[in-house]
Amino acid sequence: MRPPAEAIGTLALIVGVIAFLIFVGVEAALVYAIWRYRATRHVAGEPATFERNQRLEIAWTAAPALILAVVFVLTLGTMAEINGAGVAPAMRIAATGHQWWWEFRYGGTKTANELHIPVDTPVDLDLTSVDVIHSFWVPELGPKMDMLPGTTNHLRLLARRAGSYDGQCAEFCGVEHAWMRIRVVVQSQAEFDSWLAAQASPAATGGDGERVFLSSICVSCHAIRGTTAAGTAGPDLTHVASRATIGAGVLPNDIAHMRAWLADPQRFKPGSLMPRVPLADADLDALAAYLGSLR
Amino acid sequence: MTAIPLWVRRPAAERAGWLRTVDHKEIGVLYIGMGVAFFAIGGLEALLLRAQLATPEASLVDPETFDQAFTVHGVTMILLAVVPLLVGFANYMVPLMIGAPDVAFPRLNALSFWLSLVGGIVLYFSFLAGGAPDTGWFSYAPLSERAFAPGTGVDYYIVGLAVNGAGTIIGAINLAVTILLMRCPGMAISRVPLFVWMTLVTSVLILGAYPALTAALVMLLVDRQLGGHFFDPAGGGQAVLWQHLFWFFGHPEVYIMVLPAMGMISEVIPVFSRKPIFGYGFVAGSSVAIAFLSFGVWAHHMFAVGLGDTENAIFSATSMLIAIPTGVKIFNWIATMIGGRLRMTAAMLFAVGFIAMFVIGGLSGVALAVVPIDQAVTDSYFVVAHLHYVLFGGTMLGIFAGTYYWFPKMTGRLLSEGLGRWHFWLTFAGFNLTFLPQHWLGAVGMPRRVFTYAASTGWGPLNLISTIGAAILAVAMVVFFVNLARSIRSGEIAGDDPWDAFTLEWSTTSPPPPENFASIPAVTGRRPLWDRKHPEAREKE
Repeated sequence: MRPPAEAIGTLALIVGVIAFLIFVGVEAALVYAIWRYRATRHVAGEPATFERNQRLEIAWTAAPALILAVVFVLTLGTMAEINGAGVAPAMRIAATGHQWWWEFRYGGTKTANELHIPVDTPVDLDLTSVDVIHSFWVPELGPKMDMLPGTTNHLRLLARRAGSYDGQCAEFCGVEHAWMRIRVVVQSQAEFDSWLAAQASPAATGGDGERVFLSSICVSCHAIRGTTAAGTAGPDLTHVASRATIGAGVLPNDIAHMRAWLADPQRFKPGSLMPRVPLADADLDALAAYLGSLR
Repeated sequence: MTAIPLWVRRPAAERAGWLRTVDHKEIGVLYIGMGVAFFAIGGLEALLLRAQLATPEASLVDPETFDQAFTVHGVTMILLAVVPLLVGFANYMVPLMIGAPDVAFPRLNALSFWLSLVGGIVLYFSFLAGGAPDTGWFSYAPLSERAFAPGTGVDYYIVGLAVNGAGTIIGAINLAVTILLMRCPGMAISRVPLFVWMTLVTSVLILGAYPALTAALVMLLVDRQLGGHFFDPAGGGQAVLWQHLFWFFGHPEVYIMVLPAMGMISEVIPVFSRKPIFGYGFVAGSSVAIAFLSFGVWAHHMFAVGLGDTENAIFSATSMLIAIPTGVKIFNWIATMIGGRLRMTAAMLFAVGFIAMFVIGGLSGVALAVVPIDQAVTDSYFVVAHLHYVLFGGTMLGIFAGTYYWFPKMTGRLLSEGLGRWHFWLTFAGFNLTFLPQHWLGAVGMPRRVFTYAASTGWGPLNLISTIGAAILAVAMVVFFVNLARSIRSGEIAGDDPWDAFTLEWSTTSPPPPENFASIPAVTGRRPLWDRKHPEAREKE
């Protein structure tokens, strides 16, 4: 099958060309009428009053109908194609929308905000939401699909080229809708396999930062596999340092930004459900360093 | 300078006052005044949105304020500005155009205006009561449920819209009855001016569409205040049910806003082309087709909801079908101009501008009926561009055309043609600069309703252009308001029939007397006033 984005691109090009030609035709007729029939070009007196022409009316009703019939047939073909066209997916990934981040599950392995898929492989996302309606949209990879609480929708992804593709939530989902960004990393099968193996492994343990994490309120929302932290309300942090951004796109992910984020998430993402946790400076340093080590 | 009365030719001492009036003309003016005031407020909200989005990662306003502003902007422009403006012109003009002394139910007419206004005031009271609604004009559940919108904003939205809607429904009954039962002798339904035709069709649309919104609002209120679960999946409800109900209202609402404006330019284009409308029957009939189809296209707002291919294909087909009667209208307007003797007044400029811009909105609408394209660009700035080409490029330009055309009838004075041309060209430039780039922004991935966007997206330059366009558009509106204010006081005296027009409203004084006509007119054709002025044409037949 063709990647859905390619199929949509072809269809959009055809529809776009047709629309452009109609646009040029109508605007040209309008400009011609104004230029040719301005009162200044004519002598006084009332113009001729022709006011109907049945054949003309039928013609300009039938012509658009024919064009639209062609567009409709093309639409049906592309709809079937982008939904998978009978090609079974090589892999299913569960994607769940949260206010305002994404959870991705590969079997039992959870990650957040960054979706990895192998290149040239049809992948189906099973989309749902735990709160309000979100919509998964990565423009270069194809159509968008809503994530509804209590329902599971499906979206076929297929990427021809390795690389990273950005997208974001498309359905207004509350105050931080703007900072619910997605990054899709498309990589070779081998790279993908090793990434998945690394994600599946538990976190390295030990150190001051881990002690701060486990003794604070962090654990009620976040999980780090390999420790006792098993919260599910916020993103899984087992390999948080492997991701490119913090807060679903709001900050780049390095230790300095992580420290600033931990000190006051509301400064960067006001309305975010992550509260400001009062911590001593030394604890903040240790916690940021610890999270920065979870690759 | 002669002192002439405004709005209705009645000595000031005999006026009932704005609060107590039941004269359709004065109620029409009240509606238009309400529409103008809310149009200005909604415009300022839009400027705030554009200012915030001019540059990436800006923090001119906080996200909550931004969400309130875009929510209230949408509700204001649609329900408190455009609908009252259109209903206002219909209120003032329809009885005059069909040769009637007033509407069928003058007291109900006053009630419908005051309900509409009170609905708007209730909505705006939310700002004082702890925060405006911030869940979008469409207020999708479950975001609008109390779990996610705990403030009172959504409750004010519910009550405000329900009250406003009751006013609109009552007004629609009144206008429909007036048009069906109060036409003067000889004014067969096949002879009424097209603005009256479109008003009739619109009234029927309102009667079909608004009750669905009212029902949905009541259900949401039950969910929020009485612990119901209509739209709450956790309690066995259906979030998507809200969308079906809302768009069953929401899509006909688009035609409720577009058809009367189409009616306005269907008056303006023939008069300033010196020809009868081309294909009267097709223009009128295509409106009925649009109205009928408009109740069967709502799910094209929901192509990304996951309804399934069969449902999507059906709604795709109906949405494409509706383009056909719309296209028919455009061809007929252009055919009306062909062979005419065009006077490019401000009214005509705006009418032609309507055609030129509405074509773009119509074509992008067809693209959105193509399911895969819609799934790519729905909920993006492409849709923002599309809807503004329809509702600003179409409806608002039509309303401006109607304003330049009918202002002399209502005030006895002409609007300045010079300022009118400035108004038009600034609007044309500002509008396209604002909304044309948004097509590209949507296609490359900018979603709607975001209070900001990452600098890395590269969306900054086009957003800046869009904001500059909005500023130009604001200047255009200032020119318009200056024109209104100056012309009301000191515009050139218009006389009864400044445009050498065709229809009955121009056969009475400007402004008309309380009873509209000295005696009820009788008509023998579609252009009664033209027939009177050209008896020789009749003898030739």
